[in-house]
Amino acid sequence: MMELYLGYLEDNFYRFKPSPNSMSSASAQFATSRRIGIYEPNRQISMWGDSFKADSSQNTGASTIVEADAKHDNRLGDIPLESPGPSKKYDQEANKPADKVLRRLAQNREAARKSRLRKKAYVQQLESSRLKLSQLEQELEHAKQQGVYVGGHLGDSSLGLSGTVNSGVAAFEMEYGHWVEEQNRQTGELRAALQAHVSDIELRMLVESGMSHYDNLFHIKAIAAKSDVFYLMSGMWKTPAERFFLWIGGFRPSELLKVLSPQLEPLTEQQVVAVCNLQQSSQQAEDALSQGMDKLQQTLAETLTSDPLGASGVATYMGQMANAMGKLEGLVNFVNQADHLRQQTLQQMYKILTTRQAARGLLVLGDYFQRLRALSSLWTARPHEPA
Amino acid sequence: MKQAIPYSSGTAWAPRSDDGGAINGGRQPVEPTGMAARCAASGGDIRRMVEENRVVVVGRRGCCMVHVVRSLLLGQGVNPTVCEVGEDADEAALIGELPTEMVARCGGDGGAHLRRQGMALPAVFVGGRLVGGLDRLMAVHISGELVPILKQAGALWL
Repeated sequence: MMELYLGYLEDNFYRFKPSPNSMSSASAQFATSRRIGIYEPNRQISMWGDSFKADSSQNTGASTIVEADAKHDNRLGDIPLESPGPSKKYDQEANKPADKVLRRLAQNREAARKSRLRKKAYVQQLESSRLKLSQLEQELEHAKQQGVYVGGHLGDSSLGLSGTVNSGVAAFEMEYGHWVEEQNRQTGELRAALQAHVSDIELRMLVESGMSHYDNLFHIKAIAAKSDVFYLMSGMWKTPAERFFLWIGGFRPSELLKVLSPQLEPLTEQQVVAVCNLQQSSQQAEDALSQGMDKLQQTLAETLTSDPLGASGVATYMGQMANAMGKLEGLVNFVNQADHLRQQTLQQMYKILTTRQAARGLLVLGDYFQRLRALSSLWTARPHEPA
Repeated sequence: MKQAIPYSSGTAWAPRSDDGGAINGGRQPVEPTGMAARCAASGGDIRRMVEENRVVVVGRRGCCMVHVVRSLLLGQGVNPTVCEVGEDADEAALIGELPTEMVARCGGDGGAHLRRQGMALPAVFVGGRLVGGLDRLMAVHISGELVPILKQAGALWL
């Protein structure tokens, strides 16, 4: 359609010449339209407009045409190059190729019709896809309710795990996937930087990115804990080898320090004492949390075994259940506190170490987790007989 | 032969469970068979307990986090007085009944934001002043500030 306008411009800029080339269908149409009052380009516009309104009535088109025609007349008047001479020629030339023009009109009608049909087909396709999508969603919902585990880590030995999955879990899995990718990238960057002996200033930037990246992890975990704390506690979002070390939904800070410390030498005497104290403090804090968890298990068990004969009636049973529910909700708190402890331990290490040592420390950690994940892959892929 | 002094006769040896003081003056992790003084508290009760005891933990009945706080403090050689409030107790109301000096923390805003949000339970008071919730307790413990705080309040001496 744009060609029509271009043709118009060409013709009027260089003055209308009735040569075969310049006598483009466009200009001929223009000439004709002015005579017979049907303005082709605008008719095209209204045709498109019709299909968008899903109304293929030509009559509607006609009314818009008239308006468009008037507008276009104004534009013609504005063009300085047009002179009375050529416009007279318009009229004369127009009479000759009437057949061509009519054929051209018919072709345009046909093109417009085809365009409308194509559009209709496309819209129908969209509609049916939408229907299919909502059907799939419903099926998924039914499957979920029946306890089928859907979602990541199907490659592991987790296929037998039953449980409901919600969107919070799906969102977390996706975000955690990105987190791991970024972690690997940052670890690579640290490795390269330390090998290249870059300046402390550059190292500091890398270290601060690394620290805030861990903060991001705790942040997304906090959100996931509200959504499904048991999922987080199960460690199903981690690889098998990592899961082996699981403690309240994540790594054990004191373990991490044991991995780190030997790799950070040489340390000053002051640093050695500080690290030792941190080791002890984190161990004590872990023990306190573990004892709290034990207590929670104990009280939950007590709540549920109070009245096996059911002698106290339904109301008591419901009361006990409500009580137990409250206890379970306490788990979210435990995961949050454990993550808080992890964060505090990392930050205290950051305070104790120099920039270079901290960079090395983050590299050691990143590398360690990478190796654990690689080990998990090897384990999953090992040839073994199915149970 | 000299008779050994019976353990029970020496009052100096008995754990002073009523003032939240140190057990045997040392850092022995002890799990006493009986809990230190408990109370079903109103704001006034809490105030009194905090004034009278060096280390007080205020928490809801049945909350397992109270146990965490207590375990952590016991591990430092401190036997805290546990003050239990009802499960439905309103934190904001409780803190409103406490004097400002009690809840103002070092470098804090005089406890203004605490008054607005309410105290996070369980809450730890050392030497008549609020230290904070479990979050803060963990933070000061990891950073090594907890022991000095306890010593300064006379809750711990070595």
